[in-house]
Amino acid sequence: MTTPDRFTCEQVFQRINDYLDRELSADEMRLVREHLDTCAVCAREYAFEGSVLDELKAKLRRIDVPRSALEKVEAILKRRA
Amino acid sequence: MLLYTSVWIWVRFPALLAFAATGASLPESSPQARDLETLLRPLLERAYGYALRLVRNGADAEDLLQEAALAAVRGFGGFQLGTNFKAWFFQILTNCFYGRHRRLAREGQPTDLENVPDLYLYQRTAEAGLHQTVPDPARHVLSRLDQEEILQALDSLPEEYRSVSALYFIDDFSYQEIGDVLSVPVGTVRSRLHRGRKLLQQRLWRAALDHGIVPHATEQRP
Repeated sequence: MTTPDRFTCEQVFQRINDYLDRELSADEMRLVREHLDTCAVCAREYAFEGSVLDELKAKLRRIDVPRSALEKVEAILKRRA
Repeated sequence: MLLYTSVWIWVRFPALLAFAATGASLPESSPQARDLETLLRPLLERAYGYALRLVRNGADAEDLLQEAALAAVRGFGGFQLGTNFKAWFFQILTNCFYGRHRRLAREGQPTDLENVPDLYLYQRTAEAGLHQTVPDPARHVLSRLDQEEILQALDSLPEEYRSVSALYFIDDFSYQEIGDVLSVPVGTVRSRLHRGRKLLQQRLWRAALDHGIVPHATEQRP
C-alpha cells in the first residue's frame, strides 16, 4: 500500500489519538504534522485533545503511596535479599 | 482463596511455573535478589497507583501489590535481565488481580459507546461557549476538577477500559507494552483506549456539570 502525499481532515481525525501518543509510522506522523500546520480546524481539535491528556496525566500521576504498602513490599524484598 | 489465586497465576503466567517447579527461591544475598530490588523499587509508586485503579480501594491495592511482589520474587529466575521488567512486573500484578478479583474483573458490562461522539469534550465545551471566552477550554474545565473527581471518573469505567486507561495515564506505557501487560493484541489496546478516552471525557463532563464548573443548560445537547 502506497503512502498518500497528503492527508485529508478525515484521515487526520482518525489518527489524532495515535498521533498524540506517537504510535504512527514516521511517514504518517509527518503527514499528520503537515496537515496540522495548514488546517486551523484540525489544529484546534488536536490542541484541545493534547490539553485534555496533559491535564489528566498531570493529575493521575500524582500518587500517594501509603507507607504501609511500601513497608510490606520492602519486607518481602528484605527476606529475599 | 490464596491457593486458588496461586493456581490462577501459574495458569496465566506459565513462565513462573518453570521456576516454581524447581522449588527454589532466590538465594540469600544473591545477585538476582539485588537486581530485583533495583528494578522493582522505582516502580512501586506507579504499580500501587495501577493496583488502586484496578481494585478501587486502598486496602485491596496494598494486598495486590504485596502479592505481586511476592510472585515477582518467586518468579524472578524466569525473568531475562535486559528485557522489559516494567511490563513483566505489571503483567504479574494484572494476573494477580484477575486471580483474586475475578468478579471485579468482570464487573461492568461493556458500555454501548455508539452514542458517545468523538471529541466529546471539545463539542460540549464549544456548545458551552468556552471556545470564545477562554484560551484553553480543556484546561479551563479539567483544572477545576480535583484529582479525586478525575479518579472517580476513571474508576467508573468498565474494567476492560479502566485497566487500559490506567496503564496509559499512570505511566508512559506504549500500546505494545500495554498489550504485553494485559495479554491482548495492540489493535485491541488501541480500540479500548480510544473508547475509554471517549467514555472518560463523557464522565468528566458530567462531573463538571455536577460541580457547577459549566452551566447545566448545555447538558440538553446529546
